[in-house]
Parts: sequence; C-alpha cells; structure tokens
Amino acid sequence: MLPVLYAIIVATLFPFALGPEHALLARIAGGVVLVTVLLAMLLALDNVFRGDLDDGALEQMLLSPQPLSVLLAARMLAYWLVTALPLLLVAPILAYMLGLQPAVQPVLLLALLLATPLLALLGIVLTALTAGTRRSGMLLSLMLLPLAVPIVIFAAGAVGAAQQGLPWIAPLAWLAAALALALVLAPLACATALRIALDT
Amino acid sequence: MSPPPATSSPPLMIEARALGFTRRDEDVFGPLDFALRGGEIGLIEGDNGSGKTTLLRVLAGLLRPGTGTVQVLGAQPGSEEARASTIIMGHLLGLKADLSALENLRIGMGLYGRAADANPDAILARVGLDGYANEAVRDLSAGQKKRVALARLALLPARLWLLDEPYANLDRHGIALVNDLLAQHAAAGGAALVTSHGAVNFHQGVTCTVRLAA
Repeated sequence: MLPVLYAIIVATLFPFALGPEHALLARIAGGVVLVTVLLAMLLALDNVFRGDLDDGALEQMLLSPQPLSVLLAARMLAYWLVTALPLLLVAPILAYMLGLQPAVQPVLLLALLLATPLLALLGIVLTALTAGTRRSGMLLSLMLLPLAVPIVIFAAGAVGAAQQGLPWIAPLAWLAAALALALVLAPLACATALRIALDT
Repeated sequence: MSPPPATSSPPLMIEARALGFTRRDEDVFGPLDFALRGGEIGLIEGDNGSGKTTLLRVLAGLLRPGTGTVQVLGAQPGSEEARASTIIMGHLLGLKADLSALENLRIGMGLYGRAADANPDAILARVGLDGYANEAVRDLSAGQKKRVALARLALLPARLWLLDEPYANLDRHGIALVNDLLAQHAAAGGAALVTSHGAVNFHQGVTCTVRLAA
C-alpha cells in the first residue's frame, strides 16, 4: 500500500506547489501522474528479492529442477499485480483531481498499462543483477534511470498528443513493441543475472 | 569409457577429485578426494571457518569449484540432472515466515515434486509438529522451524541430501529424529553429506569422513 499512498501524496502536493491555476494543472496532469506512478513503483523494487534472499528461499528456487526463468516470470507478474495494479486504480482519480480532460483519460490509462509492466520487467532484471550486494538501492536507481527515460518519453508523448487532439497511437505502439520484447527476454535475462549475482 | 563393474555396487552420488576452492586467492579448503555412494552417509568435519558450508554450496552448484573436478550423480553440480535429485538444507532454512508449515511443504513439493509414498500431514506428525500444520512459521520456535525443514527433506524425492549442521537448535528427540531420517534415507538407497563442527551423538552408519583443516 505504500506506493499508492506515496503516489496520492505526491500528486496532491503539486497543486499546492504550483498554484491552483486550472489551465496549468490540466496541461501537466498527464505527465505528473505518469511520473508519480512510475516512481511509486520503484519504491518496492529494491525488496523484490530481499526477503527470499534473507530466508534462503531464493537458494531453494535456484536449486530446484524447475526452469528459473519461469519461476521469475511468475515473480514478475506477482510484483506487477501487487504494486502496479493498485496504482493503475488510483491513477485516473489523481488525473481527474488535477483536471485532465476526460477524453484523454483512456490514453493515459493505456499508456500506464503498457509502461508499468515494462518498467517492472526491466527493474526486476536490474534488481536481480544487484541482488548479492548490500544496499543495492543507490546502484539500482542509477542503472534504472536511463532505462526509465524512454518509457516516460513515449508514454508522456502519447498523452501529450491526445491532449492536443493529435494521433497518439504511434508512441503507444513503440511501448507495446518494447513490452512484447521484454516479456520474452526479461525472465531469461533475469535468471542469468540472478545466477551471476549470487555466484560469489 | 570402462564397462561398469560386474558387482552391483550402488550408484556413485558424489565423486570429488582434488577438489579445492579459493576465495580472493586464499584457499578455503582442498584439495579433497572423496566419493559417496547410494546408501552411504558422509560426515564433513572441521572447525568453524574451515569451509564446511562452502564445500556443501559447491556440491549443490551454488558456487563454482576452484580447482579439481567434482561430479554429482554423474553430472556437473548445479546442472539440471544434479538439481533434480539434490537438496541442500543450510543455516537459512528457506521457509517463508508468513506461510504455515503445511504451505511451506507445498512450496517444496511444487518446486521439487514429491517422494512416492509421502504425505505432508503424516510427515509433519512424524517430526513432532502434529497440530502445528496451519501455524505460521513465524510463530514457531527455532527448533520447530528446523523440524519443518526436516519434514520437507523427507517429503521430497531428492536422493542426495546436503545437510549443514542439521543438529543445531534441536533437542535430544530432534537429534534422534535426524538420525532416524538419515537411516531411513540411506536404507532407501539415498545418500547424505552432513557437516558437523564437533562431537555430536552422530548416526552410527557413517561410511566416509571428510576432514577439513582450518
């Protein structure tokens, strides 16, 4: 629940900081919600493998005869369901609160629906890579930043185009293509990264 | 390839030749030569810091051997064939604290499969956790947690057990239980490698001892 609270707090603070001017808030609403949701997702990222690492369950997973990439794909799905899905539920409310045009709401939701799993997949691969190191949070954030930038650019591009009444499908198609690629490759990369990280 | 020996000796579970491990250019253990066959219980002796746990982790495939060769069930440690029939129980038991004892056993069965005639409820009763099946592992004592891990050992079909200090945290009955489980496992053709740092009232059937110098 922490990510949801965080997103609500951040999005609520924006009108206080920028002033309650409706036109300004409506213009930035899409971008604010996007960035807030993606940042909130990262809060839980550092803990994806922490618990399993500390109680030895991760070793049992590594040593079991099941394919590790499939186990990790299930873990990625669980992460998305637990952190991203609640955020997707509050995102339209936050956008409405900031005054986003109702017509743009579906585009924002679609952009989030594509951007959040993509960020989750990329983030978990990086988390796996840093799993063996203590206090990996800092390293993780630095590595994730360049990967998050294109996601934000394409998602915000779609929302911005929709706000101006322009066609918005192209940036979303790029996000969808990246997501399709990541869905296939990320579990494999994650399995390899985890084996590398824990072989000390 | 030489033909298999005419006598039907049990299959080779572990074969280590000049096995050694170095961490940051410092020898942790080795070189070691030993072999463990089905039906045998091996004991790894050594003081604190002599590399007992490291040896088990190498055999499980969690660490790469430094020098020499080692085969587990005729395959590379950590390969799919070896993983299918090896289970390691370390200091970290790998139990999820929020789940019940029974749920933890189900996770184990989901990952490794289940031994032919094993029943989770019966095994929990056998390790003395009758009535604790639905208790969250978080609320169990250290010894009881160990017993859940022992129940998982008995439940899964692994033929090779790598046990790191299985007697730690256990009372007299618990120690007898470990010996009992080991004897049964060996009688069924399985093998086990057990570490110990001192004089424990150990199971009599030890057939090979690996001594690690500090």
